[in-house]
Amino acid sequence: MSWIREDESNLIEKLSANILKAGPMPKHVAFIMDGNRRYARKRQVERQEGHTQGFDKLAETLRWCLNLSIHEVTVYAFSIENFKRSKDEVDGLMELAKQKFIRLLEEQENLEKHGVCIRVLGDLTLLPLDLQQHIARAVVATRTHNKCFLNVCFAYTSRHEIANAVREMAWGVEQGLIKSSDVSEALLSRCLYSSNSPNPDLLIRTSGEVRLSDFLLWQTSHSCLVFQSVLWPEYSFWNLCDAILQYQLNHRPLQKARDQHREGQALQQHEADRACVADLLQHHGNGKPLDAQRRQEALLNYTASREERVQNFLGALQHKRDSFLTDLTSQAALA
Amino acid sequence: MVLVYEFVWRVLHVLLHIHRTLITLFRIRLRNWNGQLWSRALATLLVPIALSFPKQKKLVPAPGKRVGRRYRWGADGKSLEKLPDHIGLLIAEEEPRYTDIANLVVWCMAVGISYISVYDNHGVFRRNNSRLMEEILKQQQELLGLEGSKQHSVEFLNNGTDKQDNQVLSCQAVVKVLSPDDGKLRIVQAAQQLCSAVEQMEKTSKDINVTVLDSLLRESKSTPDPDLVLKFGPIESTLGFLPWHIRLTEFISLPSHVDVSYEDLFSALQHYASCEQRLGK
Repeated sequence: MSWIREDESNLIEKLSANILKAGPMPKHVAFIMDGNRRYARKRQVERQEGHTQGFDKLAETLRWCLNLSIHEVTVYAFSIENFKRSKDEVDGLMELAKQKFIRLLEEQENLEKHGVCIRVLGDLTLLPLDLQQHIARAVVATRTHNKCFLNVCFAYTSRHEIANAVREMAWGVEQGLIKSSDVSEALLSRCLYSSNSPNPDLLIRTSGEVRLSDFLLWQTSHSCLVFQSVLWPEYSFWNLCDAILQYQLNHRPLQKARDQHREGQALQQHEADRACVADLLQHHGNGKPLDAQRRQEALLNYTASREERVQNFLGALQHKRDSFLTDLTSQAALA
Repeated sequence: MVLVYEFVWRVLHVLLHIHRTLITLFRIRLRNWNGQLWSRALATLLVPIALSFPKQKKLVPAPGKRVGRRYRWGADGKSLEKLPDHIGLLIAEEEPRYTDIANLVVWCMAVGISYISVYDNHGVFRRNNSRLMEEILKQQQELLGLEGSKQHSVEFLNNGTDKQDNQVLSCQAVVKVLSPDDGKLRIVQAAQQLCSAVEQMEKTSKDINVTVLDSLLRESKSTPDPDLVLKFGPIESTLGFLPWHIRLTEFISLPSHVDVSYEDLFSALQHYASCEQRLGK
């Protein structure tokens, strides 16, 4: 089954989409696609069939999102915690993923037509090598597409992602690219696997569970959370519309909360810069207190040099990540 | 055509707002009328909403009855299949009512929950820490009586103080007041600490992992992550509540903390007791 379906929506669905789009729409939606196994039990089919139907539902949902002008979707496909499942189930899921990524490469033309960029977020080194190579090829092949974005979280947990971001910043310090005083909320966000995406506006979890299960904990602190009781393989266009309505009802207060948080962040950064400058002046000054203008100049210079350091570091980090993927693809080519 | 869609959208949202307002109004009225008939009639009218109507109205109990209720709370706690070790009270409303929050805290203690955190995303509770603590102690006296207050001693954790592990009294509860600074900012501070250690060559970047970061972000070794967060207010978001700690937390929404009743709290706890956590398996 393909990654992206052609538009099959009927008139009522088209009308409803247009009505919803008259209001504020989420630009980035995240899904916790829960309920595949319960669905399989309910329909009395094999678990693997439940997962396969779950993937088909993903393809359908992506099409609905495109119709609703939602251009970025992040999905929780496989958690690091899921490795605890039986070997059979884990192997089955790895095999399913492999088939899907191989299929993706076969559909390159279609993906190019729709401009779909696929990214995989997680610790890929935990996966079997052949799957890593398929993923790398898919990501590299769609890298330049920019009409819509699908982020698949595979071998992912939010805590691992945050710890990894801290480790990358520590690596930056080790390489002499940044100082420990450059560490900030904004920089940490840019070191997460999801650094190329804005934060999700809306997070939907299906199957009735009301927890986040270690998914995008940092990125969804001010997102609209919608918990729906429908099982993922039974998800419908109307369930999606319902979630978007919830988003629209919460839009203004959340926007306000987000703006307040951003203001607080900017203030904290400013204070941190002031403290650093004061420290520097104390150590390098000749004891005479500087006038306000010179202090202001020093502050501006410091901020500019900090931002330059950070840019260089982020460039080096991106290069490191790109090299990891291209190494995998060249390994795959040689094999 | 676009104007038509916009018009329909506006009508839709006006209807939704009216719907919401009606529900809130009826909830308030129901508390005052205590009419079983009313609640049934309205329940059938407003069926599509997943709201629990309060079953009893909030009475000021006679002193004798108070003792009975206190024992009932303890028994209620024991009757549940599982009780959260750590409960978070997330107040996502503009005007916090300290008495209602204090009531919630005291009921949580009486039911047997050991760790209670109170949070709002403007940092109001943090700034008015002492006022909240006073209110909690006052409500503790009122709801549990002198004897009950002695049995259920409360420890207030401020940022920076460690919980003393020496004496473990029966039914000791720990109340913590949180603000957004305890969330992302704490994580950033821990990251700065680790990067600083790397700068001083005390650590390498490879030493940094989930366990190391977790131990830095844990208040004390004994404080568990929140098992349950009760969110009060219409906003459907965590609003910056402890991002690191909520990976497995169940979220239950209640319409408002204003005039909240014990029954509201208990039905949320019953809902929590029926949740099944598979932990990835």
